[in-house]
Amino acid sequence: MRWTDLRAAAVLVRREYQLACRGPAFWAVTVLGSLLAVWQASTPGTSAALAAYQTRQMVIVGIGALAILLAGSAASRDRRRRASELVLSKPGGSSSQLVAARFVGIWFSLLSMAAIILTASSLSQGVLAGTPSRPAVYLSALVLSVVPMGLAVALGFSLATLLTTPLASAAAAIYWVAVPLSRSHLAMVLDLTLSQHWFLAALLSAALIALAAGLYARPIRGEDRTSACLGWVSALLIAGTGTAAFAIVSQGHDALLKPNPVLSAIASQTCVQERRAPGFWLPDARGRLVGLNDLQGRPVLLAFWGPAASDSARALVVLSQLASEHAPDGLASVAVCLDRDAATVRLFSREVDGRVVMVWDRGRHFGDGLEWSDSPLAVAYQVTGVPTAFLLDCERRVVGQWQDEEVLDQLHGAVSRLLAEK
Amino acid sequence: MQIDIRGLRKVYPGGVVALEGLDLTIPPGVFGLLGPNGSGKTTLMRILATLLEPSAGDAYIDGRDVRRNKAPIREMLGYMPQEFGFYPTLTAYETLDYFALLCRMNDPKQRRSRIRESLAQVNLEQLAERRVGTFSGGMKRRLGIAQALLNDPRVLIVDEPTSGLDPEERIRLRNLLAELAGGRIVILSTHIVSDVEITSERFAILHEGRLLFSGKLADLLARLEGRTWIIDIEEEELTRVREQFFVTGVFRSATGMQVRVIADAMTHPRGYSTSPTLDDGYVATMRQEAELSAVD
Repeated sequence: MRWTDLRAAAVLVRREYQLACRGPAFWAVTVLGSLLAVWQASTPGTSAALAAYQTRQMVIVGIGALAILLAGSAASRDRRRRASELVLSKPGGSSSQLVAARFVGIWFSLLSMAAIILTASSLSQGVLAGTPSRPAVYLSALVLSVVPMGLAVALGFSLATLLTTPLASAAAAIYWVAVPLSRSHLAMVLDLTLSQHWFLAALLSAALIALAAGLYARPIRGEDRTSACLGWVSALLIAGTGTAAFAIVSQGHDALLKPNPVLSAIASQTCVQERRAPGFWLPDARGRLVGLNDLQGRPVLLAFWGPAASDSARALVVLSQLASEHAPDGLASVAVCLDRDAATVRLFSREVDGRVVMVWDRGRHFGDGLEWSDSPLAVAYQVTGVPTAFLLDCERRVVGQWQDEEVLDQLHGAVSRLLAEK
Repeated sequence: MQIDIRGLRKVYPGGVVALEGLDLTIPPGVFGLLGPNGSGKTTLMRILATLLEPSAGDAYIDGRDVRRNKAPIREMLGYMPQEFGFYPTLTAYETLDYFALLCRMNDPKQRRSRIRESLAQVNLEQLAERRVGTFSGGMKRRLGIAQALLNDPRVLIVDEPTSGLDPEERIRLRNLLAELAGGRIVILSTHIVSDVEITSERFAILHEGRLLFSGKLADLLARLEGRTWIIDIEEEELTRVREQFFVTGVFRSATGMQVRVIADAMTHPRGYSTSPTLDDGYVATMRQEAELSAVD
């Protein structure tokens, strides 16, 4: 491909981007989303990571559903605007390149929307809440929206092309919103917005766009080799996605699909005061396994939290302060994040800046929602709500337990006493 | 270069026959397609524009089969459909830029100059930066012509370009089509007889998917030479004249009423001979067809 061809492709993407951005719906949603993000971020005590997490969830769920609808609408735009014949009578009007340009144009427009909303959230943190806005956290939240947005656009675009009606994308948008809200077996397994499932999401997006491009190019199929190949490419990608999805689910640690002896052993442990605390072996933000045995001989502050409960995310700040204050005296602090998405751990790890070791317990694939009841470790510690913190002495005995954000302040005295005894 | 159509037939799902064994040759110049609504004009144009597959028969543009050579035919074709719309949020320039990219004009300099030329041809240069959503019907039609001219097509197909336009816009568009004809084939479909009379060197009359006439205006008029008359009548005479003669037009004049009729001989005392027009030819052809159908 020559330089001029690449430039022409970029201009076509730009025109598609303009078509997506100039509609009143785009700006209405951007303004509404920004106001919501500002409101969330300016709540007192909200940290940058929590604000970025909440905004990202809103972007992935809300704007993701909108992306499906917008992409479906773009796929039927020519028919709606009565421009189909004008477009199809042009040599490139039924080409796979046009489909690719439309996909990329809509995708970029939605990422722009996410960037505007995240910027509004970041600015409101600094200006209204008076807390440091930490642009890197917001940037990472934006990067974490790239693949789910691409999947949403691919889903809406291909379904509307395949079934030749934007109603197909409306049904997909409903499913998209239902996934995070639903606690059903199917929804949890097929949630492709989770960052650990990104490669599946990317494969599926590519397959859907290849399929849509192949179908769209039907009017001149047989003359355009690229278009003829697209059917095979999409079939291979879909088969690959299906195989990978099956592999993930069948090797998962979910008790219903494949009993996991290690997790069963964790769950069978019981936390009893003055007796040794249940052990664990969980991945940190970088995927390295961290166990309680690694911290032998040191008093440990172990806290359970989950971003779904915003109070527990706020408690991370208290934990972080406590950890940095007592780390020189030998205190080890571990926060157990109860969430399905691996990216959440990475996002909040920036907040605690290495003062607290953040480990991730994604629990079972499905159950009564992924909360503490689905985490074998939380069950072993008999956690009934988050935030809950445990103080373990050097012998791994539980010497104290605290629940709720306000009570966490009492930790300070208990930790000081324990360290003095040591 | 010419367009050859041989035995072209199109049957839509549901059994509606839109074209019935059409044979036609279209040479360079403006070629008018005349016929009432539903006569098959749009179907023929969509087949030539490679947007519709014929059920049977062949159509060749410059020797290329419209079924098998869609891509090369689209390269040399400009098409403006009867019903069309643009993206309202783009400006006229951006719209043409979008369509120029679809015409695979990848060189930005060439694209820019072709867009400017096309806008100048349809007299829309002043409105290049205005959003298409604010355009009137006439402006949109002109922009429709401009997008069809972007690739400097050797075949320009325009379907009902003057419908819904005010008289001034209609005249401007007719003049433009006549100007564009030099060296290329311009196929103009319409149900307005005067559009064809003014712009087209050759034309065809279609009715219910069949070809009733194809040739020059002079050929059609030669059939009526010496058979076209004007009769000055009183208003109350109209019914009797209608029964007696084949009336092609009724007009009011300062002195009373005039009717145009076609007859081999004039028996009315106030009848006098006149030159035939395309209106006479068209109405006579359609009448002949209706009579033949009635006999069948």
